[in-house]
Amino acid sequence: MRVIPFPGGSGTGPDESWLTEIEAALDGTGEGPRADSWRELRDDVRTLAPPISPEFERELGERIAEWSARSATKRSAPKGSTPRQPRRRWGWPRRPGRPALAGVSVACAVIAAVLIAAPWRPAGHTVESSPRSPSAAARADRLGPAFDQAENAPVAGASGAKASSKGAEVAASGAAGSSAATNAPAASGATSAPGRVQQLGASITLTATPEEVQTVADRVSRLTTSEGGFVRSSHVDEGEKTGEATFTLSLPSAKLSDTLASLGQLAPVRAESQSLQDITNTYDAARQRVADATAERQALLRALSKATTEGQIDSLRERLAQNGGAIARARAALGTVSRQASTAEVEVTVVGDKNANSEGLTLHRGLHDAGRVLTVTLVVLLIAAAVLVPLALVAIALATARRAWRRHRRERVLGG
Amino acid sequence: MPERMKLDEEAFDRLFREGAADVHGYAISLLGDRAAAEDVTALAFERLYRARARLDRGRGAPRAWLFAIARNAALDELRRRSRQPQSELPEEMHDGGNTGEDAFEQLARRATVRDALAALPLREREVVLLKFHGQLSNSELAKALDVSESNAGTRLHRALTRLREKCNELDDREEVA
Repeated sequence: MRVIPFPGGSGTGPDESWLTEIEAALDGTGEGPRADSWRELRDDVRTLAPPISPEFERELGERIAEWSARSATKRSAPKGSTPRQPRRRWGWPRRPGRPALAGVSVACAVIAAVLIAAPWRPAGHTVESSPRSPSAAARADRLGPAFDQAENAPVAGASGAKASSKGAEVAASGAAGSSAATNAPAASGATSAPGRVQQLGASITLTATPEEVQTVADRVSRLTTSEGGFVRSSHVDEGEKTGEATFTLSLPSAKLSDTLASLGQLAPVRAESQSLQDITNTYDAARQRVADATAERQALLRALSKATTEGQIDSLRERLAQNGGAIARARAALGTVSRQASTAEVEVTVVGDKNANSEGLTLHRGLHDAGRVLTVTLVVLLIAAAVLVPLALVAIALATARRAWRRHRRERVLGG
Repeated sequence: MPERMKLDEEAFDRLFREGAADVHGYAISLLGDRAAAEDVTALAFERLYRARARLDRGRGAPRAWLFAIARNAALDELRRRSRQPQSELPEEMHDGGNTGEDAFEQLARRATVRDALAALPLREREVVLLKFHGQLSNSELAKALDVSESNAGTRLHRALTRLREKCNELDDREEVA
């Protein structure tokens, strides 16, 4: 007895009508014995499965109701007050949420972007811009790398053998400031010539409110002392509506750029200029005079040792005394030139202006600052994108591969 | 951008009431183990609940999603246990309350179907179970199997043809006996 009169198929593969027929039969729209046989088969297959346990169904229903209740509580409760969820009864440990992963990814990208962006900053810019000194960065740009070399390139190292010998001679002569016999850097972007002896100078004009002039003046004095210099002269004039303080500072040439940057942070900078004077010839001449006088002294001493008559001896001693004076003068002159090279003179003017505080709030400055912020933001975004896009591509590739691998492993269970 | 649909609490509850027994039936028929089938059923509903806010309408109705999840969970369970399911389908069957000669004939037919189904390779049996327990359309079946619709149709056709052949064989053997 054939009890299962199945409808036939094409044998090799389904045609559209076969699929349509079974679809219609199973959704109840198909009629006829063939449709009935499909439905009968479906019902037989479904009946083979043991029914779901009522206890399990009830328990699962309660659990779903619990999820719903918890979800409703979570939605209605203020953020952060959601009770901790109990440990899952089925499945695997909950993975970190996508927002958390996204947050971590973005944080990593930003950190990477900052790390990558850091070396982009110009190497010579050690001057930090300050909200109160908008021109500080611009000044650092104008000064160029030469000013920063002043602190990083000691005299001998930067100026070559000639400079070294000069430094040594200056030290030997007892003159002050042997450390700055030559100055490799040049102000105002002037090209530094190795082996040249240069005298640096600068002037800077700061603005402050009249009542702040004295405070700024005090800070200028303290800053000068802390940088190893001294105030050569100062004058402070305070008034109700105006005020002014002028300083003449003497600073180590090597610290000029630092000090100017620090001065620029004390108050907004209205004007600033730097100067450089080459005093190599003067220095060489002074050095030569010392060398000549020293050579003459040695010649006189040799002649004295060979003198035989009283007259010769007295004459030589007199010339030695004159020579001693010449050597002292020559060394003093060399010391003066060396001091000029090793110290920089800075004229500081603090101008009291009742509008000083609003000076920085001009439209131009606002636009400039906004432009800078936008530029930096764009650079950071660009770098972040440069980091994130490859990461995203790798993540997508990994996710695709993982999905394919999981699917492969699942299908492998089915065999074939 | 795939169109998203949100499965609200009420719809989810309705899906549970209408689909829990079917998911369980699919799982127990595939795994041959009541405890494992209950785990798979619970896991499928839990995963669907968690994903209810981001269902992709392109992947069919929530019921199709539910069975796709249940299938993955069942295959994971099979893989995790690293053993094949019981070669025999569960013995317990329902006669639907019929009595007499019809009931006997029905029982005999179902026994034949059960034996034929058990004789099918697991890959083909799974397609039949998914189609009949899930009551999925052909396109939904393709989505659940993660294959193209034509591929799903081919697999369904092959499985049902093989099932028919097995049933005929068993019938012939019974008649000879």
